[in-house]
Formats: sequence, structure tokens, C-alpha cells
Amino acid sequence: MRRKAYGRDFGLSWRMVLTTFLLGALYVVFFIVLLQLFNLSLGVVIVVMAGLAFLQYFTSDRIALAASGAKVVEPDQAPELHDMVERLAAMADIPKPRVAVIDTDVPNAFATGRNPKHAVVAVTRGLWQRLEPHEVEGVVAHELAHVQHRDVAIMTIASFFSMVAAMLMRFGLYAGMFSGGNRDNNAAPVWLIMFVVSLLTYVISYVLLMALSRYREYAADRGAALITGAPENLMSALQKIASRMTQIPQRDLREAAGMNAFFIMPTVKELFSTHPPLEKRLERLAAIAREMGRPVA
Amino acid sequence: MGLLDVLFGKKRLPKARLDRLFALSTARITLEAELRLKPAGSAAVIYKPLSTGEFARADDDVRELLHQAAKETGTEVTRRSDSYGFEWVVIEDRDFEDLVTAVHLVSSELQAQGFGEQLLAAAFRFGGGEHPVYLIYGYKRGAFWPFVPTGKEQERDNAEELRLKSELERELPIEEDLSRWFGLFDAPI
Repeated sequence: MRRKAYGRDFGLSWRMVLTTFLLGALYVVFFIVLLQLFNLSLGVVIVVMAGLAFLQYFTSDRIALAASGAKVVEPDQAPELHDMVERLAAMADIPKPRVAVIDTDVPNAFATGRNPKHAVVAVTRGLWQRLEPHEVEGVVAHELAHVQHRDVAIMTIASFFSMVAAMLMRFGLYAGMFSGGNRDNNAAPVWLIMFVVSLLTYVISYVLLMALSRYREYAADRGAALITGAPENLMSALQKIASRMTQIPQRDLREAAGMNAFFIMPTVKELFSTHPPLEKRLERLAAIAREMGRPVA
Repeated sequence: MGLLDVLFGKKRLPKARLDRLFALSTARITLEAELRLKPAGSAAVIYKPLSTGEFARADDDVRELLHQAAKETGTEVTRRSDSYGFEWVVIEDRDFEDLVTAVHLVSSELQAQGFGEQLLAAAFRFGGGEHPVYLIYGYKRGAFWPFVPTGKEQERDNAEELRLKSELERELPIEEDLSRWFGLFDAPI
């Protein structure tokens, strides 16, 4: 008998395609406009930016670990956590990632690393202590789904031009500040056009990137349901984490703010959030729970 | 892992491969004669249950079928769940052939019911050496690997495992990627 694939969400897939397409189209336009303005220097800028993106891509695991204060632990330091990660990774048929622990009471977790072979899954001490084992399992499975979907690579590639735009925007601003004397031509100065185009690209790509990030969160939630076979594990974990998030003191919130994009649950509410709202995530997980294990009609 | 899976996220777990499980039956003579691995008469199938009625029904069917088969061959079957949310079907039989057949029955029946993806591993226990030796079959990988726990917490005898690997390679499909050789320290067999 063939069973249904869980959470087959055509709407989600479609929105991901649309967002990716819009991002791509935006970058093409941005590229063409810039090419019209400069001929040579752009190539240099792109090479430099590519180098930066490359560096970011290859050091993403170390950067994220250092920024969050996570320490990689060996099996004898956290045997249960290691066993849990190992078995869930085996269920998903990905290599076992390294395991890290963050020494904070805020329950949270993140995954990083450019590919499954270099992945790290980090959980906070609070997550391990405050949540039930099956809830931790749901969270770990969510992070493993991120690893499996190569979200670090996807988001690095997707945000590359946004980074270029941000850089050029600043570049254009400086160029404008320091070249005030030259008033010979009556056309709009190049730096102004560059600034405006870059600003527009940056703003639009930022919104699109956040949308893409949210869609990938839904995909990771679905992956967690798939790996654990129990969407309710992640559902109760998310609820617990969310309620803890509002209880913790402000100091911790600020500390964690920079790491939001990596975490399972954002610690600060933002209009352009990297994560979908809790209610929507729970709703979708409940939908997956309902259709799970049904035979294909 | 195709490009589409990366772009849209996976919608299914990797399929289980059962075809290589029976290689163990044929390899048995060599295991015992040359490697001094004596079957300890117990094996287990480990799978991840789904928290849904559909799965519970399929699970009951498998259980029923297994008990029917067990009655004929004198196999003992028990079940337990572990702290990681996995189900263990523990099978005990002095006859190694029956053991492998029973393991195959559980897995092929789960697969027939459409839940093959939930299968994680099968473990066969052997004795004869200093430590017990487990041959683990990973359903996702379709390959075996040796697991030799020393009895001290999370310690395993890697040297012995690698020695067994080189010996077993001629007889069994062995998992080449050593990082996939997960252990089952809490195996109830």
C-alpha cells in the first residue's frame, strides 16, 4: 500500500517558487541597471563580494557557533543528546552532525554548516532541561530538516545580491559625500542612481528573503513531523518555547537578537520576521497530523 | 536527495531497503566457522511509530501476523518502546534461519502496509568473543555494520569493529561510510 506524502503543500511550494523567482528577477534587473552605469568596476565589486560570500559560506558553522557561544560536545559529555541526534539523523538518512550545547536558560536551538557533512546542531541547556525528551526530539528533528534542506547554502546564495546591494548603497553614499565639487554635467549623478537602485534592490530583496526564510521554516516543520512521525512533539515544544520566551528577562532577549535567523523561534517580534507566527506553524502542523499515514486515494 | 528536495523540502523519508537482509542467512556459515560469531538467538527490529490511527492499525496487523508465524516456528516475540520514541520488536529463536525470517516478516509487512519508511534498523546479537557482537542492518542504507559495545557506558571496541568489517566484507554488504555506523547501546537483546 502506498501512503500519502505528509504535508504535501502545493501552496507552500508555489510560494517558494514565486519568492525565489522574484528574487532572481530582481537581481537580474539590479545587475542590468548596474552594468549600464559602470563597465569595469562592477566586475571588481562582484569578485570581492563573491569572495566575501564564499568566506561566509565556508565559515558559517564557526561564525554561528562563536556568535552564540555554543560549545561542541562529545558523546561522553552528552550521551543522551548524541544518541537522539544520531538516531534521528539515521531516520532522515543524513550523516550525524556535530552536536553543540549553549549554556543559557533560554530554550532554543539552531543548525548551521554549509552542507550535511559539515553541519552542527546546537541546543541550549534550557531546551534540554525544560522540555520533555519527545519535545526536544521534535526540535532536534526540525533542525535536522534544516540541515537536510541545505538552508544555510540556500539562504547564503539568496542573500548574496542583497549583500552586494547593501555594499553598493554605502559605496554610493560615500562617493556622493566626497565628490561634491564636480558639477559639470546636468544628468543625474551616477552615485545617486547607484544609491537609489541599490536601496530599492536591498529593501525589496530583504522582504523577499524574509518571506523565503519563513517558507523554509514551514518546510523544516514538515520535515520534523516526517522524521519524528509525531507533529505534536514539535507543536508542544514550540508552545513551551514561546511561553518561555516571554518570561525571560530583557537582557537575554538583547543578547540573542543577532542570532534570530538561526534559531528555531525568534526571540524578538519583528514585522519582517525570519520565522512565521506561532499560530500559523501550529495550524500547519495540525494539518499534517490529520493527513499523516492516510493511504493515497 | 534531489534538487527538488533541497528546494522544497522533503515530503517523504528515504525508503527502506529490505533486499539485502537475507544476505545474513547465507553468510551465517562463514560467520560461525571462520569468525567464531555464534548467533545468540536474539534479534530486534527498530522502527519509529507514527502517532496516528492508521499506523496503529497497521502495527496491530503486523503484530497479529507475527504471532501467527511465531506459533509455528516456536519463536518468542516481545515488544517495548525506548526513551527515544522508537519501537523495538524483540525476536528470540534458537534457529538462526527463523530469526532472520521473522525480522524480514516484520519489515516486509510494515512495508506492505505503506510504512516501510518508518523502519530504522535491525540488530542481530552474536556471542563467542570477549564482548557481545551486534550486526546492525540499516534499512535506509541497505547494508550491515558491526557494533561491539564494551559494556562501559558509551564505549565501543572500534578496533574489533574494523577487524570484523574487513572480514565480513566478502560475505555481507557492509556500510562503507563509517560515520553511519550508529550504535544501539540500549538494545534490549
